[in-house]
Amino acid sequence: MPALWIGLAIGLPWLGALIVLIVGDQRPRGQHGAAVGFALAAGAAGVGLLFNTDAAHAVSLPVGGAFGDFTFLADGLGVFLAAVATVVGSLAVIFSVDYMKGEHQLGRYYGFVLFFIGAMVGLVLTSSLLLMFVFWEITALCSYALISFYNDDPKAVAGGMKALIITQLGGIGLLAGALLLFSYQHNYDIPTFLANPNIMPGNVLAVMAFGCLAAAAAKSAQFPFHTWLPEAMEAPTPISALIHAATMVNAGVYLLARFYPAFQAVPGWREAVVIIGMISALLAAIMALVATDLKRVLAYSTVSQLGYMVFAVGAGGLYASQFHLLSHSVFKALLFLSAGAVIHGIGTRDMRLMGGLGKQMPIVRNVFMIGALALMGIPVLNGFWSKEMVLEAGLVFGTEHGMVWAYVLMLVGAGLTALYTIRCIWMVFYGPSRTQNRAHNAGPAMRAALIPLALGTLTTWLLANPFLRLLETVGAFKGLLGTVESGWEMLLEVVVAPSTWLALFVIGLGLLAWQGRSRLVGIKRGLEGLARAAEASFGFEAINRGIVKTVQTGAESLRVTQTGLLNWNILGLVAGLVVVLIVLILGG
Amino acid sequence: MNLSIPSILLISVLALIGIGLYGLLIVRNLIKVVIALQLLAKGAMLALVLAGSVAKDVNLGQSIALTVIVADTIVAVIGLALAVQIRRHFGTLDLKALTTLRR
Repeated sequence: MPALWIGLAIGLPWLGALIVLIVGDQRPRGQHGAAVGFALAAGAAGVGLLFNTDAAHAVSLPVGGAFGDFTFLADGLGVFLAAVATVVGSLAVIFSVDYMKGEHQLGRYYGFVLFFIGAMVGLVLTSSLLLMFVFWEITALCSYALISFYNDDPKAVAGGMKALIITQLGGIGLLAGALLLFSYQHNYDIPTFLANPNIMPGNVLAVMAFGCLAAAAAKSAQFPFHTWLPEAMEAPTPISALIHAATMVNAGVYLLARFYPAFQAVPGWREAVVIIGMISALLAAIMALVATDLKRVLAYSTVSQLGYMVFAVGAGGLYASQFHLLSHSVFKALLFLSAGAVIHGIGTRDMRLMGGLGKQMPIVRNVFMIGALALMGIPVLNGFWSKEMVLEAGLVFGTEHGMVWAYVLMLVGAGLTALYTIRCIWMVFYGPSRTQNRAHNAGPAMRAALIPLALGTLTTWLLANPFLRLLETVGAFKGLLGTVESGWEMLLEVVVAPSTWLALFVIGLGLLAWQGRSRLVGIKRGLEGLARAAEASFGFEAINRGIVKTVQTGAESLRVTQTGLLNWNILGLVAGLVVVLIVLILGG
Repeated sequence: MNLSIPSILLISVLALIGIGLYGLLIVRNLIKVVIALQLLAKGAMLALVLAGSVAKDVNLGQSIALTVIVADTIVAVIGLALAVQIRRHFGTLDLKALTTLRR
């Protein structure tokens, strides 16, 4: 039966994309309706998949020797992410009905959204590394097209190009891994490889492991590839919620978790993953502290939270990382969508022009508060449980590998998270109003998308036990999920662990720092240099610009070789032929 | 000097390909380029027929040669049509004047 559900979860959104395009831009009501219908059907199929896990190949399409079989596998890790992608996807589409009302070219918008949802489901359900690479690139393409949706805005176009180039750069690492796998195993099957990674010599395995790490870092916007995510905020806000918070950016974390059983023995790999996650979490939290664009704050916090997940994978906390992924998908989608409601209501993204909006849009304020408290890690919201699990995994890893300092820095990051979140809430919803614009409240479709996400933020931690059962169906995770019997035990462990109380103390410190911000002027002045560096994104933008400039100058100087004259090109062809012939004669 | 038929054919193949390549390397007129390309392709066809007869598989060699004739005719037709359009558009057939993509 899983085969049918897999087919539905991938096929329904793709069919929907086609139908939205056929309906045509002259009938926007039909387009809204078709998109919502197919997205909801896909969401139902994604939820149905949750009850149809199977550790054996569900679908296997033979496509000939060079490509191996195109196989799909409905194991716990895959179906969980597929369910997140389709459910959050359908909520984002519902939200779009209000948010994109009156926009032109809705066919292009909904077409790419639905195409993306199907590709994301394919990415997490396929068990062929080559096919995974193909889906990986489809999601990157959809992300590019949707960031640049307002294609008459040069900033949106530039942001899309940047996202595309950086994620493609990482994709090379994944492709290299796929080709290495094929050359040793003679097919692209991932479960076979995970069962016996020693088929590769140690150094080749290390190349593949670090290639996949680069791919994951680029996709999940981790250090040093994190610069594309803030620029991606030019996209319509439902896209930011769906692609750049809840689904596509999680693909990197998924990749690391999927291959963790094979790569954990590679020397230095776990340490590298932990350090990348830690740097991303900390740097992004500092940048979120000084950003003034509401969506950029959320983007930096996404980078930071993804850093926590990557950190957890490296520390060996597979369950913690995936559980935090679930929590983060729900509460960050909620935060982005409510931020979208605010932006739609007041017509600007600049937090300096907001303030006092809480009275004008009470529902949005309430759901935003729920999401923000989960982001801070306040009990009993879902973010609290999963973040504590991540930190605990970090502490265990730190004591075993002499890297307790990484754990301490992550604790500091948790405090910074609380600080920048409360700053964001304050600037948007409280204090005096700083603009003449009257905000209008969220429409019915917006509320229909926000309320389920808010309820999810309050309750998904109750799924701890079924979630553990789900991950236990993944064959390769055997023996890697710890010794606990049930998810309840895990929750209990979180409550009694001293590290939880330490973390809550640090989070409390962060909140107190905001409370007493007027008394901390001295410290603030001392940190002004750091703030300026953070505003300039610690020089990474300058590095990006430098690379672009170098490539452009290099390409310009290579133009001489393109004469554009047929005769010279023919000469090149003939010379190449001669070289091949000589090599053949000498070698034969 | 007593030449067998296969060696005569081989010499013709080399001559046709050589003339075609030489033409592609030096001519600047687009019509002449098409002609040189045709000479090159005729050499290739002859090589196919020759290979078929030497390998005692005449049918295969000739049928592939026929396929190449069809494809090559299309190349010639499209090449000449392009030449006509280029002449109308740019007023010249000189390859050197047609490097606008470069700028």
